Amino acid sequence: MILEAQNYISGFLIVIGAAFALVAAIGVIRLPDIYSRMHAASKAGTVGSGAMLIALAVVSDDPATTLRALAAVAFVMLTAPVSAHLLAKAAYAVGYKLWSKSVLDEMPKNQSTGRKQSP
Amino acid sequence: MSLFLINLLLAIAWAAVSASFTLANLIFGFILSAVALYLIREQVGYVGYLTRSWRVISLAALFVYELILSAWRVTTLVLSPRMKVSPGIFAYPMKVDRDGEITLLANLITLTPGTLSVDVSDDRRTLYVHAIDCSDVDQTRADIAEGFERKILEAFR
Amino acid sequence: MSAGEHFRDFAELIALVLLCMSFLVTVFRFVVGPTLPDRVLALDLLVTVAIGFLAVIGIRTGFTLYLDIAIALGLVGFLATVALARFILSRGPAGETSIEEDSQPEAGSTK
Repeated sequence: MILEAQNYISGFLIVIGAAFALVAAIGVIRLPDIYSRMHAASKAGTVGSGAMLIALAVVSDDPATTLRALAAVAFVMLTAPVSAHLLAKAAYAVGYKLWSKSVLDEMPKNQSTGRKQSP
Repeated sequence: MSLFLINLLLAIAWAAVSASFTLANLIFGFILSAVALYLIREQVGYVGYLTRSWRVISLAALFVYELILSAWRVTTLVLSPRMKVSPGIFAYPMKVDRDGEITLLANLITLTPGTLSVDVSDDRRTLYVHAIDCSDVDQTRADIAEGFERKILEAFR
Repeated sequence: MSAGEHFRDFAELIALVLLCMSFLVTVFRFVVGPTLPDRVLALDLLVTVAIGFLAVIGIRTGFTLYLDIAIALGLVGFLATVALARFILSRGPAGETSIEEDSQPEAGSTK
């Protein structure tokens, strides 16, 4: 009985996670500029692979594996925003512009971001 | 924090006494030792610990809820045939000022609906946030201030 | 095989197809992507999707060793993204100024 529930829950989570991964990929294709694309990649992608890792945690019988899968989920959720943030910061500091139909930019132009290395 | 360590030590002691170091038994021991600490709350100043851990848990719950909501928003946005986006960067004046709290706030903002933190100003007072829908910036600012920032201040102050 | 196992087996197949499609779409952005940050973002998304892919493969085959590979891949992918961000910062724009080849110079930054 419990095994049946495990199978149904994990199957459901796998399909949901894969669908979110596909949504992230389509978003990266369809959205207009690099900053908007980051929204799709960092949110939908994280939820997608997180759901699939939770499915692995649900289906495994070994507590050590469950714990490792949950640790992997926490790790993905911690690193995804950091890498998106770093990438956005670097792109903005170097001067990749926002989409031309963007409505607002309150960031000062001379905002110094990180140390600029000489090439 | 030392109370948390005592709690953890008692959980390990429970696992050692009951001679099974499985995950479920450790969690059970943790809950058991929390109840034991609750019984002597007058002596060890447990009340603050309890409310604080409750606030951390509610912050985590809010985070998971917002993450799922944001993934859903991205989904509806991306799959709608005519995408209505008006992206932009707005400045958000922060009330938190410690490094760890700023990091936490920036991470939480990145994983919530329609916002992505881009940069922190040099004087650490302003966070620059990229929003995918900048039509109502004041509402977004109010949401962050009422939601995450207030929860962070409650949990860590 | 019980009904639940049939369901899971079917779900795994659907998920693998969806994941392969997302790999292809992301690779398309990687090849096309007009600027370097777009390519780095596509690489980051590839790593994220690959973690999920390894989780599904791990469920399907029953080898939980794939989970360790997924964690290691996550570490390597995170470090790669950080290193590439630093590289973008140190390299400068290198000719590609805008995502769209659009003639409006400072559009949207008026307010």
